Amino acid sequence: MDKVSHALLEFREMDELAVMDSPIHRLHPLAKLLTAVLYIALVVSVPKYALSRLMIFVLYPAVLFTLSGIRPGLCFYKLRIVLPLVCAVGLFNPLLDKAPLFYLGRTAVSGGTVSMLTLMLKGVLALTVSFLLVATTSMDALCAALRKLHVPSFMVTLLLLTYRYISLLMEQVSVMSEAYALRAPGQKGIHISAWGSFLGQLFLRSMDRAGELYASMQLRGFRGEFPHAAVTPWQGRDTLFVLGAAGALILFRCVDMAVALGGLFT
Amino acid sequence: MHMADALLSPTAAAVMYAASGLTAGASVHTLRKEEDDTKMLPVMAVSAALVFAGQMINYTIPGTGSSGHLCGGMLLSAILGPQAGFLSMIVILAIQCLFFADGGLLALGANVWNMAFYGCFVGYYLIWRPIMRSGRFTPRTRIVLASMLGCILTLQLGAFSVVLETTLSGITELPLGAFAALMQPIHLAIGAVEGLITSAVLLFLCQARPELLRDLDAREGSGRFSLKTTVAVLAVLALVVGGGLSLAASSNPDGLEWALFGNRESGYSENMALDEDDFGVTSAAADKAAAIQETTSFLPDYAFAGSDSAAGTSVSGIVGSAMVAGAAVLICAAGGFFRRKKRAGN
Amino acid sequence: MIELKNISFSYESGREVLRDVSFTLADGECVGLIGANGAGKSTLMRIMLGLLTPSRGEALIDGVKVEKKSLPEIRRRLGFVLQDSDNQMFMPTVWEDLLFAPLNYGLSREAAERRAMDALETLGITELKDRYNHKISGGEKRMAAIAVVLAMEPSAILMDEPTTALDPLNRRTVIRAVNALPQTRLIAAHDLDMILDCCSRVILLSGGHIAADGPAEVILRDKALLEANRMELPFSLAGRS
Repeated sequence: MDKVSHALLEFREMDELAVMDSPIHRLHPLAKLLTAVLYIALVVSVPKYALSRLMIFVLYPAVLFTLSGIRPGLCFYKLRIVLPLVCAVGLFNPLLDKAPLFYLGRTAVSGGTVSMLTLMLKGVLALTVSFLLVATTSMDALCAALRKLHVPSFMVTLLLLTYRYISLLMEQVSVMSEAYALRAPGQKGIHISAWGSFLGQLFLRSMDRAGELYASMQLRGFRGEFPHAAVTPWQGRDTLFVLGAAGALILFRCVDMAVALGGLFT
Repeated sequence: MHMADALLSPTAAAVMYAASGLTAGASVHTLRKEEDDTKMLPVMAVSAALVFAGQMINYTIPGTGSSGHLCGGMLLSAILGPQAGFLSMIVILAIQCLFFADGGLLALGANVWNMAFYGCFVGYYLIWRPIMRSGRFTPRTRIVLASMLGCILTLQLGAFSVVLETTLSGITELPLGAFAALMQPIHLAIGAVEGLITSAVLLFLCQARPELLRDLDAREGSGRFSLKTTVAVLAVLALVVGGGLSLAASSNPDGLEWALFGNRESGYSENMALDEDDFGVTSAAADKAAAIQETTSFLPDYAFAGSDSAAGTSVSGIVGSAMVAGAAVLICAAGGFFRRKKRAGN
Repeated sequence: MIELKNISFSYESGREVLRDVSFTLADGECVGLIGANGAGKSTLMRIMLGLLTPSRGEALIDGVKVEKKSLPEIRRRLGFVLQDSDNQMFMPTVWEDLLFAPLNYGLSREAAERRAMDALETLGITELKDRYNHKISGGEKRMAAIAVVLAMEPSAILMDEPTTALDPLNRRTVIRAVNALPQTRLIAAHDLDMILDCCSRVILLSGGHIAADGPAEVILRDKALLEANRMELPFSLAGRS
């Protein structure tokens, strides 16, 4: 039952991070979203044996962490969810792809090992930049960026409303789980006899809440669309950021900087 | 079943985004035409928030010591309808991706397709509605049957999609057949448990407030998809999928065993071990597989790679990489130093 | 001004909830609506807001009859503070909730922001401006909900259990805020001490009809009447009847 309380804490933590102040926080949400998507697309497009080419991409999140004032450690805790599947898939590579790619001294490093490492690094890098996006951008700013990308307002309104009520419902689940646990001390989860009523009761209450919510919205003039949140207008620094970041990232993708750097010393 | 960004090529991600995006757009369009579309918004939002929270509940499976969890696609579409259920699932998956790093940003389109599309559309039109309107059995039996079959089928489809998307992205060395052989059975069990949970909740709602469930009192035979059509479609699907799988597996006669212990000289670069020249397998299937090989080998590798062939790593590369890593650590440390200074200053 | 004329209401099942309810609230009056659970207090308020349609009778807000075509007008004039503030504060932040109604009414952004700021300043809660709704406490949410209603600039305000689940300090703050409002106020509550503190007049609903309508000081001292309706004397009056 701890899972829900942990999730609640994690959720709130992301909120706290998003309202901090830093040069990155102050950037336009669309600028951050576009560069994040570009970064992830470039990273996943790196060929599977090009591990050194991938390494240079580490610099981008490193710089963002520093400029935004967010601790990298917070991000790595989140890796626990997505990395297992990536590793599970990648782990087969060294077993299936055994041909040596190059030699480190006298040790052969197989293609499969390299592709596994590449896969894992891609997983980490992509997640890190996603994390930085959400940690430096509030939900309403993110939704404003989505509106600019012509995502239907129905979807954006739905996203905002759901976001508002998620912590409330998580709390309700947490409280109900606690109450259940106190009356079923030997059990770890919900017994099959209560599967239906546990979530079912919450569903019924939620339907009632939805009805109240709708009445409340109607009473304040709701006609289908939420009024748009005001976003800080696009500024010169946003253009600078997008062009600079995009330029650097495309350069990283085209030129193997690590090999070039290493070549100076070997 | 949430996929990370690393498991997809940009092309595959884009294709899945397009598919999911079009479906979402069509769903919004359908919903807005309904009379009480504004009323659906708070219902969808609250349901999405609840299912999100509900996914974290541990449902203890008696006698096994393990627990099951809810995904929610079938549940939402049985209550909200397929379009509203689909959009609610999108929001759930988006929030999981953004706030909990459960699934990648680029992979969101694929995750929506794998987990929401099948559950909400295939599950509703092919399973839930035909069974609920079939007029056979009691309502309670219909609910259990529809939930079980729906969850099992949609999770199988979702898991297979993961296999297909990952393989076509050229991420793994695992042959398609082997990968599927790993994923499908696991998700069969997961689907069965989800079916049980979904049935339990829907049975409770049927008793407490039956008007919440869709098609509960619909007449027999109404709607385009009847039970007979469903069975026919499923049979065809099973043949196609089963046939396709066995084709992929049979080109590699010894399957996974061979893949694990097999031929050292051949070398597995980006191929899927279906190289007819090395193993003398000449067949239509091998030709097909070779065609797939070619596609997969150029998909992840854009026009950027001017200089390198497949091998981009070398000793220089390692030295350079180590230096870059060191630089990154220094940058982060500098950030930490300034953060501490700022805190001391405040 | 709020006028109710012979309001009756039954559910589809046939159960009669309200029977021939009539009263008038003058401008600026603060009236308490009391009664046992199920007496019909919430139903009455929903009829006034046009959320429910009476089977007989009519309600008039500032002379405008409550009916389908007048609902937008009615809802501008009548503010409603819900019992569950979580259902009232549905935007991500307090500020966005404050702006919601004014923007929906077609006001410019500047005008809407001015109203929102005025509402916050009236209640002395400007620090809540940029706070997230899912993070503020119950008391803060209740005060923010009242501010949200004030930003609508209604001529009358209905309140459903405004002091429920509030700690004594928050409760005192709400009472002070309610007392300072110039609008016509109708407050449904079980907190009889608050009713005594805020309201000059009390309407007692019993089994769907009005059992008493008079000065608060008189009705809230009538022990027999209160006990017959599953209530007790306010704590501040207990032992002094």
